[in-house]
Amino acid sequence: MAIEQMKCIRLCGLKKDRKKILEWLQLRGDVEVMKPALHKDSIFKKGNPDLEGQRSTFSQNIKYADDALKILNAETSVKRSPFSSLDGKKEATAKQYESFSAKHDRTVETAKRIKFLEDETAQANADILKIEVQLEALKPWFTLDVPLDFQGTKSTAAFIGTMPNQWTYERIAALLAHNAPQGGPAEAEIISSSPEQTCVFVLCEKEHRAEVEKALAAGGFSHPPIHSEKPPKEQSSALEREISAKKDFILNKKSAICECAKFRSDLEFLADYDSMRYEKYGVINRLMQGKRTFFLFGYIPADKTASFGQELSNKFDAAVEFYDPPKQEEPPVLLKNNNFASPMESVLEAFSLPGIGEIDPSAIMAVFYYFLFGMMLGDAAYGIIMMAITAVLMHKHKHMAETMQRTLRMFFFCGISTTFWGFMFGSFFGDAVGVISKTFFNSSVALPPIWFEPINKPMKLLVFCFLVGLIHLFTGLGINFYQSWKAKKYKDAIYDVVFWYMLVGGLVVLLLSIKSMTGTFGISFTLPSSVGNAAGWIAAIGAIGIVLTGGRSSRNPFKRFLKGLYSLYNITGYLSDVLSYSRLLALGLATSVIASVVNKMAAMAGGGIGGFIGAIIFIVIFLVGHTMNILINMLGAYVHTNRLQYVEFFGKFYSGGGEKFTPFSADCSTKYYQFKEERKS
Amino acid sequence: MNIFNNLGIVFALLGAVLAALMPGIASAKGVGAAGQAAAGVVTDDPAKFGKVLVLQLLPGTQGIYGLLIAFITLSQIGIMGGSTTPISAVKGLLYLCSCLPMAIVGYKSALDQAKASISSIGLVAKRPDQFGKAMIFPAMVETYAILALLVSILSIGGVGNLHV
Repeated sequence: MAIEQMKCIRLCGLKKDRKKILEWLQLRGDVEVMKPALHKDSIFKKGNPDLEGQRSTFSQNIKYADDALKILNAETSVKRSPFSSLDGKKEATAKQYESFSAKHDRTVETAKRIKFLEDETAQANADILKIEVQLEALKPWFTLDVPLDFQGTKSTAAFIGTMPNQWTYERIAALLAHNAPQGGPAEAEIISSSPEQTCVFVLCEKEHRAEVEKALAAGGFSHPPIHSEKPPKEQSSALEREISAKKDFILNKKSAICECAKFRSDLEFLADYDSMRYEKYGVINRLMQGKRTFFLFGYIPADKTASFGQELSNKFDAAVEFYDPPKQEEPPVLLKNNNFASPMESVLEAFSLPGIGEIDPSAIMAVFYYFLFGMMLGDAAYGIIMMAITAVLMHKHKHMAETMQRTLRMFFFCGISTTFWGFMFGSFFGDAVGVISKTFFNSSVALPPIWFEPINKPMKLLVFCFLVGLIHLFTGLGINFYQSWKAKKYKDAIYDVVFWYMLVGGLVVLLLSIKSMTGTFGISFTLPSSVGNAAGWIAAIGAIGIVLTGGRSSRNPFKRFLKGLYSLYNITGYLSDVLSYSRLLALGLATSVIASVVNKMAAMAGGGIGGFIGAIIFIVIFLVGHTMNILINMLGAYVHTNRLQYVEFFGKFYSGGGEKFTPFSADCSTKYYQFKEERKS
Repeated sequence: MNIFNNLGIVFALLGAVLAALMPGIASAKGVGAAGQAAAGVVTDDPAKFGKVLVLQLLPGTQGIYGLLIAFITLSQIGIMGGSTTPISAVKGLLYLCSCLPMAIVGYKSALDQAKASISSIGLVAKRPDQFGKAMIFPAMVETYAILALLVSILSIGGVGNLHV
């Protein structure tokens, strides 16, 4: 329920143990390794420049493994459920890690082989495309019984080629007679013709070759774009044989790839193994290294120090020292919360982690977060759906990633609150119970609200929203008080918090004692005027206090006074902060009214027809409409709950700025496996 | 004068229709423009889809608030179920006035929220870890649409109870 206390760690080990110690550190994942602040001297040097080469080899290997896995996934259709991304990492042990080094090189070869096989199939596929183009070009020539390259015989010359557009035998004869009157006897044959082009075979005497060629060229004759040494028909069947050979080749290669599927887990391990080594070599760069020893500096959570020191001294000849972080340093932040509050860590992290002197507000935030979310969504059925879906997902995927699990848990708790508020306001799919009973059963059963229906008494809910807002803001101020008190800034605690409590609280009570005010807001009671007077005085004292102390950072008394007045002006900030909580009403109404619109539309469409078909139409409209409504309003509730936390609540006490604790751990670099040693801790 | 008095329901319906029309148009524009920006981000990194989708949808809520006001008005004036008592011209005009905050503020805020959304999509494209903050900027604009929604809801409810 708080920020973990951090200790600095200084570890000195023998260089021959360096690899082992680092691997052990990585599997434990408890220590964030810092860059040493010390300067290098004649004995100790920072880093190790020749490691960069090895690091690039590792990243190369990771790429091979990832590529190979991608190819495997494409080739072998493993059945995956749409929720498989929730499965999380598989479990592995340190022993597996150690024994993998024997398999490492072989697995890299496998990855390369898979890549090579894939390249070969891609090449073969490209070849097939090329051959298919040739086949297409050969088609018009099928009836020709000499090769396309045929030039003629001993005494004849042959022209094989195409003419644009459609040509007939007579037209070619006329062309030859007209353009080559001295061309001697020639024979033309139409091989095939289409409106676009005509394939022709022309034979003439060898001595008239040039003249006939010229005549043909005048008609647009051109040689075919392909060559064949065999008659086209034979050529094409040869090409087809080639295609089927290539296809066999591809099938072969693909089945070879599929055979590699048994190495899938090895490949995944390879990717993780080399990611870890990559990370580890990065850490080596942050060590101070001498000839035979090395130093490591970093942070470790305080509660881990004992077991860490114990295990280290059992395993290695190394010295370790833990000490409190020096005052001027800001240690990295690690939050620790129970299951109820831990989902807030992600929300907090999205804003900023606690800075120096700030507490971890997760637990308090959690209460308000679920409460506010529930009020904004405010429909029992929607809440039950949220709880059911998140509970099933969490139950089915026990090993899902921590962040995912937290998000689901957050929506589960929000679902509980939504259900609660839904019953309070009598909303179950809007007014579905009433509408269904009226449309289909002709009765007037309805779900009565436990408290009241907001649409009938919006003013009442609005006042309640302001009250919730006031409590939320005052809680924030309270945390501010606690933080100042803990830092021994007692004056700040009184000036910045107590005076504001007096002013805002006094004004609220004063308003409650004025009859016209309570009448406007429909509040059933009015405080007696004596209470109002007292509250007025308290508010006045608070206001004077704020004017006097608000500008205490300035020395000049005039400036101080002006600044004090300006900080009193902040009261408008409180007004707008409280008004901001009216979104609880607006968004809550939006959910229930739109749900009612959906029900009404469904009832109009389905109820008008009636009977079985009417019921089906009703159900379809009902399902589609409510799915849309739940999604859109969940988005709205989520965004605006965050806003109320970030802007109104945090504005009172929290500025953040902490650095996240990122330990040197296997879990940060692996994608597929998680080590048991880590899971335990 | 008599004709004017019959126009009560027309004024009221005009209000309802404006509340649905104007924020609806602006939301459609806003979500569309934000969608273009979001699609650009997804071409680069499909993993950001979930985040940019949330940002894209933010200017869409005004259209829903408008629908909400239109629906409340329609059911109050008896066009969609409810009572069938005739609406006087004054009451009709009052309904029209009640719908205006949502219609006008909804229209303008959706457009401006879309601009903030687009910038936030750009922010998430470069720094996905800042999603929490990126979400807040457009949400700030929405506050005013929510306030307008609130005023419209309260005044429509109030006008319904008036005897004029």
